[in-house]
Amino acid sequence: MTRWSNIRVAALFLLPAVVSVVLLRLWPAAIAVHQSLLAPRASSYSLENYLYIFTDPSFLNSVWVTLLFSFIINPLQIAAALGLAILFNNKLPMTGFWRTAVLLPVAIPQSVSAVIWAVAYRPDGLLNSLLQLVGIGPQRFVTSPEQALGSIMLVVSWIGVGYWMTMLIAGLQDIPKSLYESATIDGANGWHKFWYVTLPQLRRPLTFVLVADTVANFLVFAPVNILTGGGPQGSTDLIMNQIYTNAFVNGDQGSAAAATVVLVALVLVIVLIQFRLMGDGSER
Amino acid sequence: MHIIKSGTLVGLTAMFLSSTAGLAMAEPVTINFLTAEADGSFDAAIAAFEAENPDIKVNFETVPFDSMVPTIESRVGGKDSSLDLFLVDTPRVPAMANSGYLRDISDRLGAVEAVASEAAQSVLKYNGTLYALPLWTSTQLMYYNKDLFDAAGIAYPSSDAAARMTYDETVALARQVMAGSDAKYGFVPEQIDRYYQLQPIFEGNGGGTGLTGEGNLTPDVANDKWIAAGKFYSSLFEDGLAPRGIAVDQMQSVFTSGETVFYVTGPWRLKAFDEATNLNFGLAPIPYWTDSKAQTPTDSWAVGISPYAAHPEAALKFAEFITLNPAGVGLVLESIPNVPVNQQAYGPYIDWLAGENPAVGDDLKKIMTYELADTPVPRPRSIGYVAFETVLNRAFSDIRNGSDVASTLQQAQQQLGSQLRRIQ
Amino acid sequence: MDRITPRQALRMVVIAATALCFLMPLYWLTISALRPEADIFRFLNPFGPWTLIPNQLTADNIVGLWSGSFSRAIVNSIVVALVTVIAGLMVCASAAFALAVIEFPGRGVVFTTMIVSFLIPFDAIAVPLYSIMRGFNLQNSYAGLVLPGIGNGLAVFLLRQFFQGIPKELREAAMVDGMGWFRIFWSIYLPLSRPALVSAALIMFIFQWQAYLWPLLIAPSNDMKVAAVALAQFSSAYNVSFGLIFAGAAFLSLIPMLIFVFFQQYFTSSVAATGSKE
Repeated sequence: MTRWSNIRVAALFLLPAVVSVVLLRLWPAAIAVHQSLLAPRASSYSLENYLYIFTDPSFLNSVWVTLLFSFIINPLQIAAALGLAILFNNKLPMTGFWRTAVLLPVAIPQSVSAVIWAVAYRPDGLLNSLLQLVGIGPQRFVTSPEQALGSIMLVVSWIGVGYWMTMLIAGLQDIPKSLYESATIDGANGWHKFWYVTLPQLRRPLTFVLVADTVANFLVFAPVNILTGGGPQGSTDLIMNQIYTNAFVNGDQGSAAAATVVLVALVLVIVLIQFRLMGDGSER
Repeated sequence: MHIIKSGTLVGLTAMFLSSTAGLAMAEPVTINFLTAEADGSFDAAIAAFEAENPDIKVNFETVPFDSMVPTIESRVGGKDSSLDLFLVDTPRVPAMANSGYLRDISDRLGAVEAVASEAAQSVLKYNGTLYALPLWTSTQLMYYNKDLFDAAGIAYPSSDAAARMTYDETVALARQVMAGSDAKYGFVPEQIDRYYQLQPIFEGNGGGTGLTGEGNLTPDVANDKWIAAGKFYSSLFEDGLAPRGIAVDQMQSVFTSGETVFYVTGPWRLKAFDEATNLNFGLAPIPYWTDSKAQTPTDSWAVGISPYAAHPEAALKFAEFITLNPAGVGLVLESIPNVPVNQQAYGPYIDWLAGENPAVGDDLKKIMTYELADTPVPRPRSIGYVAFETVLNRAFSDIRNGSDVASTLQQAQQQLGSQLRRIQ
Repeated sequence: MDRITPRQALRMVVIAATALCFLMPLYWLTISALRPEADIFRFLNPFGPWTLIPNQLTADNIVGLWSGSFSRAIVNSIVVALVTVIAGLMVCASAAFALAVIEFPGRGVVFTTMIVSFLIPFDAIAVPLYSIMRGFNLQNSYAGLVLPGIGNGLAVFLLRQFFQGIPKELREAAMVDGMGWFRIFWSIYLPLSRPALVSAALIMFIFQWQAYLWPLLIAPSNDMKVAAVALAQFSSAYNVSFGLIFAGAAFLSLIPMLIFVFFQQYFTSSVAATGSKE
């Protein structure tokens, strides 16, 4: 069968997904690009919105904060998710229930999660009283420019790590037991098995989790909005917070659209690099 | 009890009217009314209105408070005809009018002038055109914890306008009480990093609203008076008189728990404070600066009509019923006891509110009545107000968390400069 | 079940301790929902017996929760999430199958389109999407709520990754036996991908369960509201009812918990058992 004769059957399989993605994602995105090229009160295209955001120190700061956030949180979350997946991948009694417990935070509206953590982070809140129990003095958490971004990362990880763990467990379940058995016969220890069996076998699910987690972390918004509003001193001002503030608080759709385009371009570049590094994209 | 009774009565009337009128009437039009209020809070008013106007049905829609702006941005901005009227936060009127989000209702100006004070009218207009009908206004009160004063053996502050304390006196008194009791905080403004509540501290210090020039589009938030006010505000947190790191919507817990000497918020907290166990509170007017005139925050929601409304006439009729008609205003107040702008409704309202809170009723009536009449200062009228408020609230928040006052305000000044230039 | 070795027992303890750390905030949420409103923030500091154990229990918040329109909103959320998952699995799995298995010109372009579609922040395009959907008259309808969740690029991507891991030899043998593409998809790929399908279902479920801005815009009427929006409504301009919010959030996590626990059994391996994976 030739590649060309496959195109009709492929089209049938793809049609519903492609139609819905084009109609409900790409078309509105195209409208947003159109808006990003219209300066306030202008009727012809220009790059004024882009010039404006790229000369706005608070937007430039948000690009920097977003990149910093992303470079720190992604490796940490993926390592944590992988560690948890290996720990929780077994048939011991109760494991199924505990797995659900770790996954559960993702099901609560993020606005509520943020409120719970706001209580924990209060100066007179739960975390400080727990720290006091073990003899550590009160921390400032979200009110300190040094600790705020880390505090946001903790909240986002509490929400998301169980989710990525679940995806990786699905991948671990797919690794044939025979591979471990033959490795054992060859005298491999636990670390060898992880390095030479688990990791290579997990490449595709890991690529997925790496890309999906990266994207998700670029789009973090509710916890920032509720816990810090981007402060203190802009230290947690992610691009999504800028987009939301411009679009829905200040009513400046043009600059919000321009910032969205910049954000998508940024994520796209990083995701493409990740695909390269993971050696994906081609048929095996 | 009172609410239930009148509700049943209105319901019966509505049934009667609609069953007789239905014979002659064509299909009733349905208008969609968007608010950020709880389910059912306009039911009594809607039932009464529908009884009087059997050809109009009012569909009450509500969104969470924080989502009101996104909803209006997308629905009115998207020229959605299924939204007829909505509640408008009055400082947003200029920007919304400028974006074409509000219908010109200048022909109702006479009716508005008849019920609202001049200050209250001014916030409904932009460039001399009337864009909204007046629903509620607001003011602020300084609540104090009587038990903490007793523990310290210090006399309660006075509720007289003439005996209003300055900020410095208030803080000094708070420190005294803290020293003599187990109070944790001395002086806490509830909306701790929002312009609405901080305006009296900053503008009240004589440095202007923060916006000047034509159309109020030039920022002026880094002058000496603003910096001085900022230093005072900063010291509240530096010296532990007010807490860092507690969100505005959780703030009231520091007063209900009995650990705060002075707490500034609106009359809408009376009920929660009344219900709190182990809390005895009194009321005083909010402080002022020695060399300046006293001022209080004011304004609240008004009612606007969408320019794309499918049924603008019916929508306007309903808007008039809940804002200009004292009966309609009264029905809304039964479930949402905010301060009505309507001067005919204010008298019965304040007597009712004082009766509901007998422990502080007399002081409440006295303070609210003179604050609303003598000291309210609206927020600046500008199409850039929203951007102004967003930038400033962040600056306030940074100062609260310990940033240097002068440089934070200068940064805000610069950022506002470029944002407001874009709007001009 | 064999006897548990000390090593396994230790592992169970570590697992339980880890999971309890994740559960702590949810535990606090739940006990707060059972407390009188005024007690919620009362015992935070210093740490004492009442910090984590309610000294007074009340059902007020739970009763208050169900007296309003919240129950209707929960039903809406469940309907929207379930319809999205079922329709979405069919749409996304077939697209992923074509992208992973069938060789055709333009495959790279279609795959890139799918990837780009989930890079776009959905909230940032909600306003233009709203005007498109309004053009189709889909306000206040289940269709308006469900449709944006069905074509999920992330789910397509996940399933493609898993489908690619199924050995080529299986489908080549099937082709020799005269199976068509559809039969290969239905009788070989889907049954072999149960864990991946459950994960994809989870992605779509969470998308709808967490959705806030979109349902707020497209379905504002009282009958069509979803739970996340109804929950946010407990904070109005003048009052925030933490008791009701926490009670509602506890229910919003209880329902997925029941679903997740039920689906745990489908989460076990299928390919690995056959040992047929390369």
